[in-house]
Amino acid sequence: MKDIKIITEHWGKIDPLKIEDYLGVGGYEALGKFISKMKPEEVVEEIKKSGLCGRGGAGFSTGNKLESVANNPKAEKYFICNLEESEPGTYKDRLIVDNNPHLLLEGIIISALSIGAKRAYIYINGNFEKQKEILERAIEQAKEKKYWGENILGSEYNLEIEIFSGAGAYICGEETALINSIKGNRGEPKYRPPYPTQAGLFGCPTAVNNAETISNIPWIILQGGKEYAKIGAKNSPGTKLFILSGAVKNPGVYEAPTGITVKELIEEYAGGIQKGKEFWFAQIGGACGKLFLEKELDAKLNFSVGTGRDLSVQMGSGSILVVDKSVNIHDLLISWTDFFRRESCGKCVPCREGTFRLWEIAKRFRDNKISDRDKEAVKDILWTLNNTTFCPLGKFSATAFQDAVEKLKIWK
Amino acid sequence: MEIKINNKIYEAKEGEGIFKVCKNNGIKIPTLCSSKEFQEGLCRICVVEINGKLMTSCNTKVAEGMEIITESENIDKARRINLELLWADHAGKCATCKKNRMCKLQSLAEEYKIENFHFIPRKGEITGQEELDLIRDNWTRVVVENENPCISRNSEFCVECRKCINVCPEKAFGFNHRGSDIVVGTPYEKVLDCSFCGECVRVCPTASLMDQNNYGEIVETLDDLKKFSVAVLDFGIEEKILEQIKIGISPEKDLNKLLINLGFEKIISLSEKDKDNEDEIIKQIKTDYAKQEKINPADIAVFFISSKIYKKKNKNEFLDYVLSEREVARLVRDKEKIKTGKIRL
Ligand SMILES: Cc1cc2nc3c(=O)[nH]c(=O)nc-3n(C[C@H](O)[C@H](O)[C@H](O)COP(=O)(O)O)c2cc1C
Ligand code: SF4
Repeated sequence: MKDIKIITEHWGKIDPLKIEDYLGVGGYEALGKFISKMKPEEVVEEIKKSGLCGRGGAGFSTGNKLESVANNPKAEKYFICNLEESEPGTYKDRLIVDNNPHLLLEGIIISALSIGAKRAYIYINGNFEKQKEILERAIEQAKEKKYWGENILGSEYNLEIEIFSGAGAYICGEETALINSIKGNRGEPKYRPPYPTQAGLFGCPTAVNNAETISNIPWIILQGGKEYAKIGAKNSPGTKLFILSGAVKNPGVYEAPTGITVKELIEEYAGGIQKGKEFWFAQIGGACGKLFLEKELDAKLNFSVGTGRDLSVQMGSGSILVVDKSVNIHDLLISWTDFFRRESCGKCVPCREGTFRLWEIAKRFRDNKISDRDKEAVKDILWTLNNTTFCPLGKFSATAFQDAVEKLKIWK
Repeated sequence: MEIKINNKIYEAKEGEGIFKVCKNNGIKIPTLCSSKEFQEGLCRICVVEINGKLMTSCNTKVAEGMEIITESENIDKARRINLELLWADHAGKCATCKKNRMCKLQSLAEEYKIENFHFIPRKGEITGQEELDLIRDNWTRVVVENENPCISRNSEFCVECRKCINVCPEKAFGFNHRGSDIVVGTPYEKVLDCSFCGECVRVCPTASLMDQNNYGEIVETLDDLKKFSVAVLDFGIEEKILEQIKIGISPEKDLNKLLINLGFEKIISLSEKDKDNEDEIIKQIKTDYAKQEKINPADIAVFFISSKIYKKKNKNEFLDYVLSEREVARLVRDKEKIKTGKIRL
């Protein structure tokens, strides 16, 4: 089971710029199967059976999301592939495009058709010039083969695909902000409910899914949801791309079943800690991730914190930053806080002002000018970020700082 | 449907915001950013507790069986921290501020006893060198613009509540930049060029958007014994002025008395049917009326008191000043201050 590869199977073995290469390894067979043998609701059913959940961080059930859009009586619907990926330390989605763009494209086409969308968007981070070109090329090749457009593979299905390039803002990865951005509005989150599945892009039911999530779908269609559900952790099955960086011997992106422990990933996949370095903590899930000490590394990586006896952690985007004892914590604190104070959309008070103040205090901490008043202020700011911000970004911005105070005891 | 607020049952309609239901039932919840028309949940001050979770009351809709608490330790804490964060980002120049005692932020800060012990001011005047060093990279962009004829803009006072952006029928404003660099401004920071309906000034809770005027000159004119000051009151302005001064400025309900006290010597009230010929009526003051009363037109100062602040750009030989209800309130405020010798809260 450990060796099963769904996303990375053909990486490095096929030329991503040639659709023939993808076809040579069974590409677009899932689309063919869907068109010739399956009804849209059967696709949704299969995905539900697979237990696939969102790889964008929140881990929401993909089958349920697609189903709620599919069942919406409104005629016009949209499917959006989320390729924003601005989380620091996370670069898995763009690697999917780099290595096998047609896998993603096939997943997009099947998902969009399964919910009855006539139009799919790929929302790509504005900095991903290269990936945009690769995708444009793949889209062109797929059009020639009639995998999208009018009468897909001679059927009644029609689908338009459009790439929408954002401006590279972290908040535009949040689905309601992303939708605002496509509409031409300011990239900032919107109040939910209504959820995008009820009223999303242009007021129509919309499914927004992460690029990695979508790339699992061709496999599920070909092998069946039941097979997929057997892989990895029960409550969030499948494989996951893990991004290991920092003080490990072999940093990079690895595909592994969910439920794997942090320790296994570091030791068995990334070659362990670099020589001469001493492990301090690991940050899981990007700049918004929690910090884990050595004694917590046996935790299993999941999407939902399980109810079982096993210690499990939410993996978020799947990035694991391994920090060793030679790292200056001031640099990290400033890097985290500066990131969030720049990337906050700025619309709500606690996040706009709070992230700025954390950054300011982090700099004073570095300069050895921190006062007791600052430490009190940090407590208040973290509390309000955790409890009163408009969207999760505000909450995210508090996580690492809070762990630094509570677990790493930076103040002592 | 029935909902519970502070353990009492209230009737509410489907789709109504919690804030509104509370307001209708006399339960007070503070807010900076929401209004009757827009509830965006930006200031995070109107938080209440729903099932133990803090939620903004303005944009959260009621649901059957909902249990809402409007005062608790956590609610108070959230309001205080968020207000303090805002307060620290504010200019902090109340004593000399044009909007002193007419400011929403100030009154909330007073109510919640915000004294800013935690943060260093980001905007506004800094005195000590040490403070200056600390604050150097903390300055946000501040936009000050007084080049347009009607609206004085100074983002130093702005609390980013978005009311002006939302209310403007011409979409003249927007959020520029993001995160802690956010500033309410015009596209490409151009000089404001709109029809100057004045709605944005009306809704601004602080002194960020103000009526453009030469305040010192106005006071001087009114105090000048040689000048004969005439107030032309636009139709409907009376209630608006009394509304403005009602809270914390003056309990006086007789507008004529107030105006005479300010130094006006003649008051002309326009009726609804004068709407189309107000310019004509104003013109008659320095012509027909002056002749009839044998006053030298050069000694007359004509004030049009109206919400139509776009009239400020049409000042001419017959019309010296245009004052909005807010500017009259400010004149009253300053007169009262002199009278009592101190600021009354
Ligand atoms: C601040 C913020 C940033 C986010 N950034 C991303 C992102 O870059 N990519 C992504 O797929 N999801 C991101 N999300 C999650 C999306 O809102 C959304 O849940 C996701 O795209 C749904 O897809 P999934 O169910 O396949 O995970 C972000 C959420 C928040 C709150
Ligand atoms: S928490 Fe508030 S300011 Fe921060 S990104 Fe979300 S909406 Fe914007």
